[in-house]
Amino acid sequence: VLDRASSLADSEIVKLLSTRFVPLAIDQHVHRQLKDAEGEQFAAVLKQAGRGLDGMSQGQYLFTPKGKLLSFSNTPDAAHVKRLIDTALKKFDLTADVPESSPGQKPAPPPFEPPPGTTVVDVTTKVLGGYEKATIKPTQAAQEALGRDHLWLRKDEVEALARGLLPESVKTRIVRYHLIDNTRGEPPMWSPDDVKKLEMTLKDGRLTGSVELTTKSGKRGYRAKLFGNVKVEDGKLTRFDVVAKGEFWGEGTFTRSAPPGEFPLAIAFTLTAGTSAADRALPGGARANLKGYLR
Amino acid sequence: MRLSKLMVPCLVMGLVSMRAAEDRTAALSEAEFEKLHRELQPPSGELWRTIPWKTTLLDARNQAIQDKKPIFMLVRSGHPLGCV
Repeated sequence: VLDRASSLADSEIVKLLSTRFVPLAIDQHVHRQLKDAEGEQFAAVLKQAGRGLDGMSQGQYLFTPKGKLLSFSNTPDAAHVKRLIDTALKKFDLTADVPESSPGQKPAPPPFEPPPGTTVVDVTTKVLGGYEKATIKPTQAAQEALGRDHLWLRKDEVEALARGLLPESVKTRIVRYHLIDNTRGEPPMWSPDDVKKLEMTLKDGRLTGSVELTTKSGKRGYRAKLFGNVKVEDGKLTRFDVVAKGEFWGEGTFTRSAPPGEFPLAIAFTLTAGTSAADRALPGGARANLKGYLR
Repeated sequence: MRLSKLMVPCLVMGLVSMRAAEDRTAALSEAEFEKLHRELQPPSGELWRTIPWKTTLLDARNQAIQDKKPIFMLVRSGHPLGCV
């Protein structure tokens, strides 16, 4: 969230990354589990920065095509990122740092791309109120941020939607993995036992629903209503505009500083444009859980 | 069973509280849905989405060799392009 609001919103940095570098975006939890050439090369770059696969490896790693680290830090700050870029470009030696030919290693289909036939729906989340006014910019950015994720729908589920049916698997996936507060970081998902009420129907293209989610301790929960429009034409999903809105309470280990008590949270679903690599990013609930997520 | 003088107001308050919670999560109207759905769309023309991101290191490395460029790898807990 902070990168997108700071360094990646800086036009000079975006231009440099787009023209002078090959930009690469990685989720550490996914990549640290890869045991193939991809995983080995990831580990080799991290090692040069004093990072390993078992600890925190977040940051910006700038390195040569041969894999030699040029600069590294972990910062959302635009000025700091510019310094990293300057350092890397000064160190980069076109004759010494680029192999004469490609090693010929073709990446295997990554385990984090949508399976064939998957329909992707963008999911955006926003806290609508309840925060105390932030005095520092990063906190303010986090409070105003849109959480982002993707809902993946299987081919057979879209076929069911075309017949006017709303599969249980879709209802459960929406509720357990997407009615979450991911606006301040990685949120915990809901367990099956947390789902106290799940009513969701699709009639004449109109989706409506009501959910109640509460953890065993009662310290985190969401009580919301859903409303939206779903349209399938010629077997293809052409509209999936849905909104959930209700009262959320609590936070997770990595989503601290939630508003106190109950606060309004809204979540919107929209069919993806499919124009960016971002549109293919793995859903948060599918990390190390793709089978469970798509079940 | 007789209710104590204290229990009656407690029960009334409980019912009021339950009703209040129900009201807060009242069904969305078409107009509210349209408004919220619009408000929750990301701003158009976000710069970070224009960057030609790669998502595998091997793919990035092959591209870097071909283009003779260094690699900028952003690593986050949660995918930097979208799951947080």
